[in-house]
Amino acid sequence: MNLFRSEEHARNWVGYDDSMSAALKPVAEWADIFSNPFFRQRGRSDYISWTRSEEGGAAFKELRSRLPRPVETDS
Amino acid sequence: MAELELLDRGYSAIMSAVIDSGRAPHFTELAAELEIEIEAARELVHELVGMTPGWVHPGTDLLASFPPLNMQPTQYQVTIDGQGGWYAQCGLEATAIRWLVPGKTVTIEAPCLCCGEAMVLEMCDEEIVTVEPEPMVGYTSAEIGGSADSRPFR
Repeated sequence: MNLFRSEEHARNWVGYDDSMSAALKPVAEWADIFSNPFFRQRGRSDYISWTRSEEGGAAFKELRSRLPRPVETDS
Repeated sequence: MAELELLDRGYSAIMSAVIDSGRAPHFTELAAELEIEIEAARELVHELVGMTPGWVHPGTDLLASFPPLNMQPTQYQVTIDGQGGWYAQCGLEATAIRWLVPGKTVTIEAPCLCCGEAMVLEMCDEEIVTVEPEPMVGYTSAEIGGSADSRPFR
């Protein structure tokens, strides 16, 4: 889970896996994904309780819907 | 399993210490702060990392990662309002540090893993202040939030 100077640099990285090409995104887009309440609420004193609340569950569901998944590729 | 109220207090105590000092408390320190038995604090650490994307160093009770920050140094050096001493767990979690320090400027400095050239990302609350160079990208070859067992080895 790394940052790169450009898309080309990421694709040239030794650890690049084309089956996770959906995870190659501008840093601003990742910053938006990591703005989900799941991350924003970490400072609250009842964070674990909050993650189990209706609001926390909805935030986690929304987060999961935005996270890239591996895809089958022809090798 | 610990009561929810204790899980809340434990998580909050660890996060506060990590944000204040860049280091996580040892379970004996946590026991003193939470006024619980030492063994209960040790078990609490493991329970908390089991329900968050953090981890202990394999085979130990020592917190190595408590996202968005890492106790073990990474290439993602963090300064908050110009003061250093923190490391982000990864490049993506680095973008979430700002939510723990409202109103403060979080600067991430890291080398590109492909070429080693420096990059700087600066954020304050909702604003992305600096991205050098453009167009910086994030990438992961592992599924985010994947198996807990694999996290210390990513």
